[in-house]
Amino acid sequence: MEFQTIGKPTPYLGGEDPVTGRAVYTDDLRLPGLLVGRILRSPLPHARIVKVDVSKAQRVPGVVAVITGQDLATKYGILPVGQDETALAVDRVRYVGEGVAAVAAESVEAAEEALERIEVLYEPLPAYFDALEAMNAPPPWIHDDKPNNIEREYHHHFGDVERGFAEADYVREHSFFCPRLNHAAMEPHSAVASYDLQGRLTVWSSTQTPYYLHRTLSKVLGLPMNRIRVLKPYVGGGFGGKDEPLPHEIVAAKLAMVSGRPVKVTMTREEVFYLNRGRPDQYIWLKIGVRRDGRITAVECKVVQDGGAYCSYGIVTILYAGQLLAAIYDIPNIKYDGYRVLTNKPPCGAQRGHGSVNTRFAFESLLDMIAEDLGLDPVTIRARNFLRPNTRTVNDLRVTSYGLPECIRRVVEASGFFEKWRKLPYGRGIGLGCSHYVSGAGRAIIRSEMPHSNVVVKVDVDGGIGLYTGTAEIGQGCDTVQAMIVAEVLGVNLRRVRVVAGDSDLTPLDLGSYSSRVTFMAGNAALQAARQIRDRLADVVSRALSVPADRLEFRDERVFDRENPDRGVSFDEAVYMALQESGGTLVGKGAYSPPPEAQGGTYKGAGVGPSPAYSYSASVAEVSVDVETGEVRVERVWTAHDCGRALNPLAVEGQIEGSVSMGLGQALTEQVVMKDGRILNAGLLEYKTPGLLDHPVIESIIVESIDPEGPFGAKEAGEGSLAGVIPAIANAVYDAVGVRIDRLPITPERVLEALRKKTRTAGRPAEKPEAVVSASADA
Amino acid sequence: MGVWYMPPFELVQPRDLDGALKHLADWATDTKILAGGTDLLPSMRQRLFEPRYLLAVGRLPELRGIAWEDDWVRIGAAETLNAVAEHPQLCQAFPALTEAAASVAAYNIRNMGTLGGNVCLDTRCHWYNQSYFWRKGIGFCLKKDGSVCHVAPGGRQCWAAYSGDTAAALVALEAQLRLVAPTGERLVPVREFFLNDGQRRFVLRPDEILTEVRIPQWMAGYQGRYFKYRIRQAVDYPLVGVAVLVRTSGPRVLDVRVGLTAVNPMPRYFDVPSEWLEDPPEAWVERVVEAVVRLARPLKTSLLVSPAYRQHLVRVFTRRGLRSLLALPTAA
Ligand SMILES: Cc1cc2nc3c(=O)[nH]c(=O)nc-3n(C[C@H](O)[C@H](O)[C@H](O)COP(=O)(O)OP(=O)(O)OC[C@H]3O[C@@H](n4cnc5c(N)ncnc54)[C@H](O)[C@@H]3O)c2cc1C
Ligand code: SF4
Repeated sequence: MEFQTIGKPTPYLGGEDPVTGRAVYTDDLRLPGLLVGRILRSPLPHARIVKVDVSKAQRVPGVVAVITGQDLATKYGILPVGQDETALAVDRVRYVGEGVAAVAAESVEAAEEALERIEVLYEPLPAYFDALEAMNAPPPWIHDDKPNNIEREYHHHFGDVERGFAEADYVREHSFFCPRLNHAAMEPHSAVASYDLQGRLTVWSSTQTPYYLHRTLSKVLGLPMNRIRVLKPYVGGGFGGKDEPLPHEIVAAKLAMVSGRPVKVTMTREEVFYLNRGRPDQYIWLKIGVRRDGRITAVECKVVQDGGAYCSYGIVTILYAGQLLAAIYDIPNIKYDGYRVLTNKPPCGAQRGHGSVNTRFAFESLLDMIAEDLGLDPVTIRARNFLRPNTRTVNDLRVTSYGLPECIRRVVEASGFFEKWRKLPYGRGIGLGCSHYVSGAGRAIIRSEMPHSNVVVKVDVDGGIGLYTGTAEIGQGCDTVQAMIVAEVLGVNLRRVRVVAGDSDLTPLDLGSYSSRVTFMAGNAALQAARQIRDRLADVVSRALSVPADRLEFRDERVFDRENPDRGVSFDEAVYMALQESGGTLVGKGAYSPPPEAQGGTYKGAGVGPSPAYSYSASVAEVSVDVETGEVRVERVWTAHDCGRALNPLAVEGQIEGSVSMGLGQALTEQVVMKDGRILNAGLLEYKTPGLLDHPVIESIIVESIDPEGPFGAKEAGEGSLAGVIPAIANAVYDAVGVRIDRLPITPERVLEALRKKTRTAGRPAEKPEAVVSASADA
Repeated sequence: MGVWYMPPFELVQPRDLDGALKHLADWATDTKILAGGTDLLPSMRQRLFEPRYLLAVGRLPELRGIAWEDDWVRIGAAETLNAVAEHPQLCQAFPALTEAAASVAAYNIRNMGTLGGNVCLDTRCHWYNQSYFWRKGIGFCLKKDGSVCHVAPGGRQCWAAYSGDTAAALVALEAQLRLVAPTGERLVPVREFFLNDGQRRFVLRPDEILTEVRIPQWMAGYQGRYFKYRIRQAVDYPLVGVAVLVRTSGPRVLDVRVGLTAVNPMPRYFDVPSEWLEDPPEAWVERVVEAVVRLARPLKTSLLVSPAYRQHLVRVFTRRGLRSLLALPTAA
């Protein structure tokens, strides 16, 4: 089948707006009487709140409302099992930066002054900043109902690892560490709320998940959902930092209700780092057993995550870390012990590649180490362990399409891997890393049987096509891709499609933009809705032209007889003909629920990991290492991504490049540094996301495995590539200078230190003529 | 947290230097001089400065222009870093300076940031360049609002690192600064301008404006290079900066100087004694390297790299600079 719209590189609908500064973000909103909301934050990492006195703050001129934790005492959380947060601390603060009170005022100056005048009496409690320490701490626990400060632990055993290791010819284990990260999205969080005289609350928020916000507002504020409207204006990136209801959104709403005036609460960059929800500090211990030929017989993994002070997505994160050990290679036996630990630090949550990234770094590194010990190359050891399409893994994940072999083949070819690996001069190296990710979760995190995505398509007398979707466009291009699907089905120009999205009064339910679910799920819903419209038009036209409906083709804005293309009507005529009939306005409705087979097993924790389809990715990185300074420069990255089918190749390439960029940052420079619960680099100057000059040339390669259940065969593209990039770089560093960095980020000092250790122990035989010191970078 | 508005101030925009000096005559201690603002304004948001007046000097004609005059090359203090970095004759004459200017921050910041502001840059320390909320929470330090140094707790001195890039070149080039006050002006050699005290920083008085940086024309006969360590190439302050200048005549090495920044509260320099130069370079290069390394006293003022690493880089960069300018084979 030849597509008209699908598969064509398509700039985003409305993409002109953000690039010309015309896009309206939440913080740009101006409403008559708008007040500034600001939040007072705890200076202590753990303390009982003895008293909060707001009387002086209330007297500051310009202050309209002051609230404290008591005003918002209902607990909430993104997970049904993690309802442990309040929008403002009620009787205890658990991390530096946790909100304690909030004010709404006529000006930011008045608001800040009022915050200064709120008097809080704290009684400090012992605080813990490291997961291992927190697990062994005596009471009082950070949450009284979480003994030993363990949020949740899982002990999974699939197959029989004892037998697996016994069958292995070679077993190697290693420990890895990955630090806390922040998403560092360009747009800091912002929320505007307004409460009208009819008792209806409207909230605009820079969120990835309007529906979860809607539910939570209802729960915490005690308003029925039908009296709340949630809108999502333009969002300047989320990466997981905006995919759950957050305190400032609830605070804005409450302040609006109390003051009777609209209120805006926008985070400073420093506050974004304390709001956090990024990747946790993570200890990983990993053991892999293989046969002589590289075939994996067993994997054992232990993970400890320092999740900070509240649950957030933590239980999902700790599960993903274990569950996604599977579904990329064929592993018959897996044992996993995961601990999600509470500490007195800002809560961690989901971040691009949620849960899977750090263990993937460990796994792909250890795989290379084992390959070397066995005299295998990095490609062969992976190829020995390929899955087959349409299998079920040992932990009950259903894998359908499987493009990993093709991804590896393509990057190896494009990078000239085998001409370079072990052959480049000392100081230069190349490495491979692979990864995979879900195309949406098979089971909704909110434990609901409702469809995960719903789309309504409406066609009326103007011939315009209204696409109503609850999805959250956050810069990833999901509005455009749904419009493309509808345009494809109806054979019309993309411009005919108007997307109405992210407004709970107008658009149907969608769970939101997280876990890479939107193209797959909302795409399927859009496809179904568009097909209903097409069927209705086909029916009308078929009767009018006396051509069987299944012979009608929708193409180039016409509906015509495939066997006699001159015989047909324009799309507008077809619509007009249909509107004459008793049904009137054309409405198509689509809904998507993952099939039962894609909802995983029945064991405890089985709900996380299953997906209707998995994306696959392989990256090759070429690096140079300055052996005198220890600096690593990534020269080039080739990344192949199996996205099923690239509905919009331009967007897929953008997502691959974005994933490489974030992988690069995590590999080399990014880390949130904390001391006693305080962040030392809560700003973009000292939190080192790579800039343009730090980026390698990126070659994105699209692999299409045509998934049987994805819309036109599509799977996810937004996250899956990231995880492979980091081990590709680490493996390349090893190839360049023979040192294995197992602690991220790979800083120059760590490289130098490892090089020194290596020369001291003069360990392994050199694979390379090390005497040929590369000309230093400046020569 | 992270107060997100500027503290209140009044912007004074005189038309010429006289106007600026008139303002300073009355209000010097309540005033901060504003050039490009790329250093001062972010610091004000962090409440490191809350001046009553900002005196804008960026457009004063007396602070503009790049000219060869008598024995000097005169660069107006308000010339932007990009104007310096991209000036063809300056690039030819003083490559270490233009390389240093080109390495500051990022292109758009260099469009705003001036040479004068770069020279007068505040010293940096990760205990200091933080928001008010943060500093208050941890306990103010002696450089601002407090009485202890978190880096060297016992002492009474601030060790914040002077982190201007161009100063490394300017001390090696023996540049001079013209400082103009309502009561008169003075010329101060850059080498005497700075103080090894992160708090007092330099001899500039509150009523003085730096109007020009001038470099002796005879320094144009030197080859020069600037080496900088920063975490991101796209934008970052130096954690180490080394400028190396060499003058040769055929095979003879006539003069060698090294300027050093970002590792002490002030920029430092080392002029190689002329007697050393009578021997072939291999005989003294390492001695120079060690002499420069001894000048560097980085302390734990930077968050992400250790003092030992910065010290190590001083060694690597100095050696690289010398060996490349002296056309010696790269060290193994
Ligand atoms: C993200 C970022 C990265 C940066 N990276 C670097 C870097 O890599 N290297 C580097 O050196 N700097 C860096 N900077 C700092 C700054 O941009 C530059 O040093 C710039 O040259 C400062 O010049 P300015 O004109 O903007 O100075 P301003 O901010 O206007 O002033 C700086 C200081 O000098 C004083 N001053 C300015 N002009 C005069 C004058 N004529 N007479 C007397 N006093 C004066 C001011 O009162 C103030 O105290 C960076 C800044 C940012 C925001
Ligand atoms: S060196 Fe000491 S006094 Fe100076 S800024 Fe740092 S902590 Fe403060």
